[in-house]
Amino acid sequence: MKINGSKAVMESLVNEGVDTIFGYPGGAIMPVYDALYDYRNKIHHVLVRHEQGAGHAAEGYARLTGRPGVALVTSGPGATNLVTAITDAMLDSVPIVCISGQVAAHLIGSDAFQEADVIGITAPITKWNYQITKAEEIPEVFAKAFHIASTNRPGPVLIDITKNAQIESFNYFYKQNPKIIGYKSIPEPEPNKLKEASNILNSAKKPLMLIGHGILISKAEEALVKFIEKTGIPTASTLHGLSALSSNHPLYMGMLGMHGNYGPNLLTNEADAILAVGMRFDDRVTGRVSDYAKNAKIIHVDIDPAELSKNVNADIAIVADAKKALTGLYPMVKKNNHTAWVKKFNDCYKKEHQKIITHETHPKSGKITMAEVIHMLSLKTKGEAVIVADVGQHQMVAARYYKAQKTDSFITSGGLGTMGFALPAAIGAKFAKPEREVVAVIGDGGFQMNIQELATLAQEQIPVKVIILNNNFLGMVRQWQELFFDNRYSFVDLKNPDFIKVCKGFFVDGERVEKREKLSKELDKMLDSKKPYVLEVKVRKEENIFPMIPSGAAVDEIRLE
Amino acid sequence: MLNTVIVFTENKHGILYRIADVFLKRKINIESLTVSKIEEKNMSRFTVVIDANIKTLQKGINQLNKIIEVIDVINTTNDKIVYREIALIKVNAKKTPEKIEKIIKDQKAKIISKKKNSFIVELSGTEEAINKLSEKLRTFGILEYVRSGRIALMN
Ligand SMILES: Cc1ncc(C[n+]2csc(CCOP(=O)(O)OP(=O)(O)O)c2C)c(N)n1
Repeated sequence: MKINGSKAVMESLVNEGVDTIFGYPGGAIMPVYDALYDYRNKIHHVLVRHEQGAGHAAEGYARLTGRPGVALVTSGPGATNLVTAITDAMLDSVPIVCISGQVAAHLIGSDAFQEADVIGITAPITKWNYQITKAEEIPEVFAKAFHIASTNRPGPVLIDITKNAQIESFNYFYKQNPKIIGYKSIPEPEPNKLKEASNILNSAKKPLMLIGHGILISKAEEALVKFIEKTGIPTASTLHGLSALSSNHPLYMGMLGMHGNYGPNLLTNEADAILAVGMRFDDRVTGRVSDYAKNAKIIHVDIDPAELSKNVNADIAIVADAKKALTGLYPMVKKNNHTAWVKKFNDCYKKEHQKIITHETHPKSGKITMAEVIHMLSLKTKGEAVIVADVGQHQMVAARYYKAQKTDSFITSGGLGTMGFALPAAIGAKFAKPEREVVAVIGDGGFQMNIQELATLAQEQIPVKVIILNNNFLGMVRQWQELFFDNRYSFVDLKNPDFIKVCKGFFVDGERVEKREKLSKELDKMLDSKKPYVLEVKVRKEENIFPMIPSGAAVDEIRLE
Repeated sequence: MLNTVIVFTENKHGILYRIADVFLKRKINIESLTVSKIEEKNMSRFTVVIDANIKTLQKGINQLNKIIEVIDVINTTNDKIVYREIALIKVNAKKTPEKIEKIIKDQKAKIISKKKNSFIVELSGTEEAINKLSEKLRTFGILEYVRSGRIALMN
């Protein structure tokens, strides 16, 4: 079949099962957009309002489907606008395939109009990138791109296509999953290492399991439940592992990290064995790493060998897919329970509840708190909505108080901490799983970072719900200034627009709520809406998020106030 | 400690960039770098000499292994390899050319260009051999000096 490069791009996407892409056109990608016009019945193109939005939407899509999200942009500024989203996907192991137009091959290096060295710019932030300069390269490069993005440790890839390659004709032939010599598939977990690990776990008195994003990526949720129910090991989650284990599970002890739960952080340093699966000991989790988990033998399972002993030295390092490791370990571990040890966690929780949680979720007076909004949302959606959190205090509140009962229910920007992530990512998530309720939780600062995507929402008319937790501050920065910079509030107060008027200007419905008595009704209204809907909640201005591990402190120096 | 890292890659555009970035990002200094094509296999061979502590270097090497086009990485030390570097030294030969010629002979170097007032000397050898020669020639006045990166084979 002789076709031109642009049609080959479409055929390649169809061959990879792509039915939704997020993009923004421009000169150097116009032939591809022209081909797309004939594929409108096969591929739904979502026209974002800024390429960063396309990147985050592709991430949101990928996080819920497990398949690569696709972003399509033009050369130069189109591609450079994607950089933040690509970096975000790199740090959070999200499979996205970015396709950028490029000036014609003969113009490369001439500083042609809208030429940028996209391959150079994105080399450090992609799992793989490649510049196509001849149409005949398209099928193989696309097959490689999708394969690389979605296998082993997932990540972003970028394909840059020169304009001539979009136009030239060639004989099209597609073959999925091409062989790449240097790209090894992940081996089965080594049985002797599993054995050693099980020995440690079987004799441990205070074992603790840490779960991360890897559980969700490898779809190991059921294997996880079986495993912990047999071993009785209390389990804590990273920010990205949230919802992998139902928060109702009696062995779920809460979240790790700087603003995680008291027990899991404090008791990390009391544990005598730690089984960490699909997580990477990020510094937000470890606190001062020289005083992290010093009493524990550490068993680290990760699909990426480079993560093992990178931040925290592993006594047993197992390169494996999370699900395979857990199913492999299952027959080797003894049935057990650790009642007294689990009780310690529960006691810590009680203390945290008394000191913090109850005041946050059930305040008696004063303005609405972020936590009571999330708590109420959690009850109303039965923990089954997909929460897409932006970055800041509201993110930590969403992570702490949304009680996910269903897997894949919490999406946020963890590694890069990208403000402006949530709105476009929620759009992508809703396209991935239209049947699920998708609620973006965003601060008043972050909402203004990709606010233009309200227009995308309005154009697509997909019922994404947005809650703005408005404290009229860059709250998280303000908290640090209060606690560590002597109350010097340096450029953190925001004179905001009237968000609801802005939404209405974008033809998106919305409502503002300030009074506690009205909150429940307004949340219902938002959830009942069949259209995109924004609920702005005016919350307390100067709340702090606790518990907190101050930066540079050890996990057991976690502060309740 | 000096380590020699040998990296085999597909012969594709942009790999040098990614390899350099792995070291750059971790502030690991590259002492020298030699790239050559392995024609018959359509591969490239990078020989990188690194001065870093082994823990840091190992983390870098783990990252090298993640580059899609990287086929194999060997991290080794001087005692396990045979290696050569080349130096070209232009030395002032105005006054005592015969003395210089004697040194060159003793050190198993070669004169590859002879002008009235200067010689260009070539030595292929280990780092120490090259250092030793240049030390000896310094007294006569070194006019220009260039050294290659390393090439190495496992012993
Ligand atoms: C793109 C970007 N710029 C700056 C920051 C630093 N930062 C982290 S949290 C935060 C404040 C966020 O304020 P807001 O969105 O209002 O949320 P709040 O913390 O008040 O809930 C800032 C500025 C960031 N994470 N991302």
